[in-house]
Amino acid sequence: MDLSVYEDYAETLEALDDEMRFEYLLDIAKKKRSEPFPEEAMDDAHLMHGCMSRVWILHDVADDRHYFCGHSDAAIVKGLVAMMTDSFSGLTTAELAQITLDHVRRLNLGALTTQRQVGMMAMLKHIQKLAGARPGIQAA
Amino acid sequence: MTAIPAIREIPARGRNTYDPAVVRADFPILSRTVYNKPLRFLDNGASAQKPQSVLDALQNSYASEYANVHRGAHFLSGAATEAYEGVREKAAGLLNAPGPDNIVFTKNVTESINLVACSWADAHLSAGDEIVITEMEHHANIVPWQLLRDRKGIVLKIAPVEDDGSFVLERFAALLTEGTKLVSVTHVSNVLGTAVPVAEVTRLAKDAGACVLIDGAQGVVHQPVDVQAIGCDFYAFTGHKLYGPTGVGILYGRTDRLAEMPPWQGGGDMIDTVSFEKTVYADPPMRFEAGTPPFVQAIGLGAAIDYVQALGMDAIGAHEHALCAHAMETLRDVPGVRPVGEAPDKAAIVSFVVDGLHSLDVGAILDRQGVAVRVGHHCAQPLMARMGIESTVRASMALYNTTEEIDALAAGIRHAQKLLG
Ligand SMILES: Cc1ncc(COP(=O)(O)O)c(C=O)c1O
Repeated sequence: MDLSVYEDYAETLEALDDEMRFEYLLDIAKKKRSEPFPEEAMDDAHLMHGCMSRVWILHDVADDRHYFCGHSDAAIVKGLVAMMTDSFSGLTTAELAQITLDHVRRLNLGALTTQRQVGMMAMLKHIQKLAGARPGIQAA
Repeated sequence: MTAIPAIREIPARGRNTYDPAVVRADFPILSRTVYNKPLRFLDNGASAQKPQSVLDALQNSYASEYANVHRGAHFLSGAATEAYEGVREKAAGLLNAPGPDNIVFTKNVTESINLVACSWADAHLSAGDEIVITEMEHHANIVPWQLLRDRKGIVLKIAPVEDDGSFVLERFAALLTEGTKLVSVTHVSNVLGTAVPVAEVTRLAKDAGACVLIDGAQGVVHQPVDVQAIGCDFYAFTGHKLYGPTGVGILYGRTDRLAEMPPWQGGGDMIDTVSFEKTVYADPPMRFEAGTPPFVQAIGLGAAIDYVQALGMDAIGAHEHALCAHAMETLRDVPGVRPVGEAPDKAAIVSFVVDGLHSLDVGAILDRQGVAVRVGHHCAQPLMARMGIESTVRASMALYNTTEEIDALAAGIRHAQKLLG
C-alpha cells in the first residue's frame, strides 16, 4: 500500500526535536488554512465525538479508495487531524484496516501528551469506521 | 540509601511576612522542570501539590504504623486508629465544627454530596419538593440532584449568576419558597472564582425552612471557614485540593442532621450489631463509613491540615488574594485576553479566553513554557453555556505561587498569540 505521505510526516517528525515538532504541527495547521473546510460540513453529522475540541471529518470514496479531510477549532488538533487524513487517504478498505496503533505512534513521538495520543487513536478508529474498515462496527 | 526525612520546622502561625520562596521549599515537586523549563504550577483548582510533611505522614503510616483501623486488638491497629480518628479532630478544628463526631470521612467531595443526596435528601424529600443550586455549580453538585429528581420527582431550581460572574443575593432569594427543602451551593466557583456569600445564603435558606449544603471544594482552600458562623447543615470538601492525598474527602454535618440520616452503604464498620434478623447501625459518623476507610490518606490529610493551619488560612488567603489581583491586572494588559469571572468578591481562580485562539492551543503552548493550567469546561458545562463559551483557560493559584509565575503566564499567552497569529 502507498503510505508515502505518512512516511514523509513520520520521517520529518523523527528528524525534529521536541520543541520543533510542536511548531511543525502548528505549521501544518496554518498551511491548511489555504484549503478551507466547507462551512456546511461543520455540522453534527460530521462531528467526531469525545474530543477536547471539536473535530469534523469528511469522507469520500473514488475508485474504491477512501479520502478524508478534517477540521478542528483548535490549531494543534487541526494539525494532528491533517496528518492523519493526509496520511491515510487514498487507501482501500482492506489497507485501512491494517493501520494500527503503531502507525499512529510514529506520528506522535512523545512530542504530544498521552491525552492526544488517545485522541489520535480515536481518530484512526473513526476514519476506519467511516470507511467500513472496522468489521462489525458501523459508523454512527 | 534511604533518606531520613529531616525534622521540619513548622512555620510559626500568624507570622506577618509570608514568603512564598520559603513555603515553596516544602513542596518537592515544585523544584522539578518540565521541557527543561521551571515548573509553574497554576492548576491547583484541579488538585494541589503536596508538602513534604504530607509525604512523610503517608510514608510513616505505611512504614511504621500500618494495620487496619477499628479492628485489631494489637498495638499497630491501635496506633493507626488513633492517628486516623485524630484527623476527625483536625478537620473539625479546620472548619470550627463542634467536634469530631460531626466529621464523616468520604473519598472526595463528590462522594460527600452523593452521601447527602442518597441519605438525607432521599429520606426527607418527596415529589414536588424543591432544591436550589446555582448556575455555577460543578457537575458534582448538579448530577446527584438530577439523579434524585429522577428517583423522587423533586424540582431543581437554578439561581443565576451575572455576566461578570457575581452572585446576587436578591436573585437567589427570589427562588426560595415554602417548598424549598434544600439549598446546595458552591462556596467558591471553580471556574469564575466567585465567592458566594454563604452565611447570607444560609440565613435566607433557613428563613425559608431549608437545609443547606455547601460544596467547599474550592472554598476551604482559599480562606478560613467557620461552619458554625455560616450556620450550614453540611459542608463538603476534598482532601487532594487542600494539599492532602487523593482518595479522602470530608463531610461536615450538623449533629441533628447526621442523627436523622439513614445509612447509605452497608458493610463492616457502620454497624453496632448484626444478626440475620436485625442489624443495628452505628451512630454517626461511623454509620456512613462502611468498609475499610482510606485511613492512610486521611492521616495524610491530617498532616495537610496541620500544614495550612500552621501557615494560617488568613495568611494563605491574603497571599492568594494579592496574587489574584496581580493576575487580573496583568491579564487585562494583554490585548485579546478576556477574563471570565470578575466578581468583586473573588478567590484566586482566574479564567479567561483569548480572542481568536482555542483554549486548548493556549494551554498546550503554555505547557511548553512550563506553565501548567487547565483548559476546557472544568466540569461546569451549564456555566459555560450560560457564559456563551465552550471553554476557558484557567489559572488557579495556591499558597506557593508567586507573581513571577503569573508574569510567566502572561508572557506565555503573548507567545501563544505570536505562534498562532
Ligand atoms: C467546586 C467543586 N466541586 C466539586 C469538585 C469535585 O471534586 P472531587 O473530584 O475531588 O470530588 C471540584 C473539583 O474538581 C470542584 O471544584
